[in-house]
Amino acid sequence: MYCMGKNDHAAISAILAGDKEAYGELVMRHSQSLFRAAFRITGNEADADDVVQEAFLRGYRKLESFESRSEFGTWIYRIAVRCALDKIGGHPADEASRVAGADDPEQDEIQVADGAAGPDRLLLSGEIAALQERAMRSLTPAERTAFVLRHMEDCGIAEIAAALSIDPNAARQTVFRAVQKLRSRLAPLRVKI
Amino acid sequence: MKHLTEEELIECFYNKNKAANPASRHLEHCAACADAYAALQSDLALVKPAEPPVRDAAYGARVWASISASLPRLEARKQRWLRISIWSGLSYAAACALLIACAFYAGRLWEHRQPQISAAKQSPPETQQHVVLVLLGDHLDRSERLLVELKHADADSAKMVSPLRDEARSLLAANRACRQEVKQQDDPALAEALDHLNQLFDELANQPGGLNAAALARLQKEMNSGSLLFEVRVLRSRIPDQQPAENSRSKGGTI
Repeated sequence: MYCMGKNDHAAISAILAGDKEAYGELVMRHSQSLFRAAFRITGNEADADDVVQEAFLRGYRKLESFESRSEFGTWIYRIAVRCALDKIGGHPADEASRVAGADDPEQDEIQVADGAAGPDRLLLSGEIAALQERAMRSLTPAERTAFVLRHMEDCGIAEIAAALSIDPNAARQTVFRAVQKLRSRLAPLRVKI
Repeated sequence: MKHLTEEELIECFYNKNKAANPASRHLEHCAACADAYAALQSDLALVKPAEPPVRDAAYGARVWASISASLPRLEARKQRWLRISIWSGLSYAAACALLIACAFYAGRLWEHRQPQISAAKQSPPETQQHVVLVLLGDHLDRSERLLVELKHADADSAKMVSPLRDEARSLLAANRACRQEVKQQDDPALAEALDHLNQLFDELANQPGGLNAAALARLQKEMNSGSLLFEVRVLRSRIPDQQPAENSRSKGGTI
């Protein structure tokens, strides 16, 4: 998925030699994967687009420090994760609504119960998705990012640690905390089912 | 039996290599933990990855179009690289010039010292001493031969007297040189013998009216009274014979 072929190497060499347009090749090659990860972390399409652009801008500025033995795809992916983390950590409004939801666990249960004519209807009405979204919003930015990378992007603990710039044990604990919180949030749904 | 913690269950859930995980083996034998694991699986199964909106193939081109104008540093970077290159080039050239200057100066110093070193190498004290001993030994040998010939000379034989005088003249010059050398050394016996020889050679070479029988007899008497021949032989025996050493050295050199 993030294999860096000879094309990436050649493009980077060209960019460092002064060929700005060569960076366009890298942008076009890796934009899709970055958008997918950014969207899963931010949960917002516009934010994901911003994250992709910001990641490529940061990558361009840091390209001189890029080590050729690394893979550009992995390198720019980590930058995008950091950008996404900054993005979800920098939304006070979202944070406030998230905290409000977290302070009111009854709200989830009530909402689920209100629309719960039955489990099938519940699934079809999208209440599960809404509950899941609220559960995800109850996580801190770091927990959300770590969980998305572990659960949805299938990243290993080492990769998560590198992306979040923390040590592997801290990354593992962050994932555990995220799972615990999510399970707690999704418990009403489990009861109903 | 110790049950698995929630953390271990979560670790087991995300562990791709379940066969090698001890927690997975525990789950096969522990119903309580297996139930807890099933509940975890059920919960996490509800958290489905959010499907991102579809982005068409031109998405990358649009991203590039939106940011390419925001990359103004490329030109500046080129200029910076150019400045860095110029400065590094100048630094390199200056370092090379300094190195060359140092090498030149060192060469000059070495050149000045070299003649002194080579001169010292060419004539160390041991070598000079060796040369003096060789010359002195040779001179004493010749002097001894002349004294022996003088002792047995017949004044009536002009054929015998004339070479004696020529040899005495030749030895007189060599004797002066040897006396100069011996003066620098603390050897009074040798200096006295050379003085005695000098006197004898001088009379022998510069006898007014040539060597007649009376003059020859007087010189023979003078030589015998001073035991000059014996003295020369003793002094010659003190000087190590250089010939065998030279031979052995040359042999060593050919091997």
